[in-house]
Amino acid sequence: MILDQVIFLITAVVVLTAAILVVSVPKMIHAALWLILALAGIAVLFVLLQAPFFAVVQVIVYIGAIAVLVIFAVMLTRKAMQDDGPQLNRYSVLAAAVSLMLFAVLTGMLLSWDGANNLPVNPAVNPDTIVNLGESLTNPQGFLLPFEVASILLLAALVGAIYIGREHRAGKEEE
Amino acid sequence: MSLSDLLILLPQAFLLVWASLLLLVDLFISKERKVITAILGAAGLAITLGLTSGQWGSRATGFNQMVVVDNFSVFLSGLFTLAGLVAIVIAYDNMRRTGIHKTEFYSLLLFSVAGMMLMSAAADLIIVFLALELLSIPLYILAGLAVPRAGSAEGAIKYFLLGAFASGFVLYGTALIFGATQGTSLAGIMASIQSGTAELPLLVIGAALLLVGFSFKVAAVPFHMWTPDVYQGAPSPVTGFMSIGAKAAGFAALIRVFSLAFPSLAGQFAPIFAVLAGLTMVVGNVAAVSQVSIKRMLAYSSIAHAGYILMALVPLADPSVAANSTASALTYLVVYGITTLGAWAVISAVENADGGDTSVRDLSGLARQHPWLAAAMTFFMLSFTGIPPLAGFWGKFYLFRTAIEGGYTTLAIIGLLSSLVSAWYYLRVIVMMYFRESEAGASRAPSIQIAAILLALAVLVLGLFPSGLFQLALQALANGVS
Repeated sequence: MILDQVIFLITAVVVLTAAILVVSVPKMIHAALWLILALAGIAVLFVLLQAPFFAVVQVIVYIGAIAVLVIFAVMLTRKAMQDDGPQLNRYSVLAAAVSLMLFAVLTGMLLSWDGANNLPVNPAVNPDTIVNLGESLTNPQGFLLPFEVASILLLAALVGAIYIGREHRAGKEEE
Repeated sequence: MSLSDLLILLPQAFLLVWASLLLLVDLFISKERKVITAILGAAGLAITLGLTSGQWGSRATGFNQMVVVDNFSVFLSGLFTLAGLVAIVIAYDNMRRTGIHKTEFYSLLLFSVAGMMLMSAAADLIIVFLALELLSIPLYILAGLAVPRAGSAEGAIKYFLLGAFASGFVLYGTALIFGATQGTSLAGIMASIQSGTAELPLLVIGAALLLVGFSFKVAAVPFHMWTPDVYQGAPSPVTGFMSIGAKAAGFAALIRVFSLAFPSLAGQFAPIFAVLAGLTMVVGNVAAVSQVSIKRMLAYSSIAHAGYILMALVPLADPSVAANSTASALTYLVVYGITTLGAWAVISAVENADGGDTSVRDLSGLARQHPWLAAAMTFFMLSFTGIPPLAGFWGKFYLFRTAIEGGYTTLAIIGLLSSLVSAWYYLRVIVMMYFRESEAGASRAPSIQIAAILLALAVLVLGLFPSGLFQLALQALANGVS
């Protein structure tokens, strides 16, 4: 148990530091790399929570796909490689105060909840988890509808991304 | 897989398939005949309207209680499809004139309408979230339809960023509610609250986060900041569709979630709704007075109208008023929808060919050149103000009456006073059109003229015979919500 806690603490520090660096370093490409570290830390947290499937998904989807996409996007938009302005604007103190207040309220609320203090000791690991997950995504009585709606949603987003990203000649009808 | 599940969602599924096919078919339509794409898009919506109205009177749940089709969803689906149809009619001419005739418009519009219909039928928070995204993402892109134009790009990016932020609130709220009640289906959440197994503090925070997310969508103060820029930057027909579609879908979610899943929380949320409604009415109407651009003015006016409708959500805790107040919200949505679509149709006709901003001054002298458009616009402005015997008067009448019946007389008085303020800027438009000399140019396309005149007639007819619509709204609630 002690070893778990040590690993958790180290991971938590790494994730938080990396997350702060993501929004504070001026170079976009560095921010993207720090983002990868933060996401990798989350994968470690999933392992600690005995959710190996989510850890693998985290690595494949977030680090493998999304972070690489971010890096590509950064490289393609050459004009905005570096943010030269100040990293804080005049509302930063106010924003920090509001965020801290929200954090305090939410933490307080969560601590007042029973589940926060009595965790199940050793959650049983079901070897069929992934099978169940796959089946529930294709079962009409499960999550088939959200799955299909999400696919349509991605199609609409794809059409939109292509539309916005295409070269536009001003004032001329293209179609 | 039971067929009945699919039959329940037949209108939505049909519209989504039609929209996807339209993307492909459009490739084979030559440049000169793009009107066919517009007609096909409108036909898809018309068939969907037929399919959905065939479901009136029945009540069925499907996909393990994730969706429910009842009169409430049919009522709103009818509103969404009609709004989509009107948007296509006014967009075709406007987009050709301003040089942004992009045929992706029709598919994206259909996707958005399908998302709105799904929202009105959602009985599970997962579907609420996905429907919210399905209706919003096409709208972000439609706002940027004129994209090399700076205003359109600005509007689209602002709408996208703040919309994504709002979605984050909805998602976080959903997660907390799931944690509190161990379920995401609205019926399950209600059962969990009634049996006392729900974790109340978590549930209340989750519900409050949902409220924040939906308030962004309906543009309630203080979550309204995006509205003027987006309404001003987006092409006028898109704004017209957005002003009723996104708003009505947001209210569909609010009514469905807060009166179906959380009726026992209604007492706790009443003061919050009351403050939101009061702020929204006052800020919207006061800010609209000083606007030069008519698009910004109508944006603030749409904020104010959201405030009036929010008033109907205040007395939900009182079961004797709840049905009447929800019905008055639905009535007002229809009345507001017709009026706002009409007003934006006229603006679409008047908009300069360069697609730049349209100021109130651009309407001056419209009555001489385009008497029909000016007459229609007069009807819309008077209806917005709430002058009898037009539809807008009755919409406000029902809303204020239920607010008073529910014991919120102060709120009704705030509404009344703020709508007095609104008379100033609405009447200014009429004065501009009739009593100022100028050569206001406008499109002479018959499609826009006919649409504007028909909508003006609808405003008049609904104003002369208001009880029919209100009875229909009451029936819409009879077999589902509350």
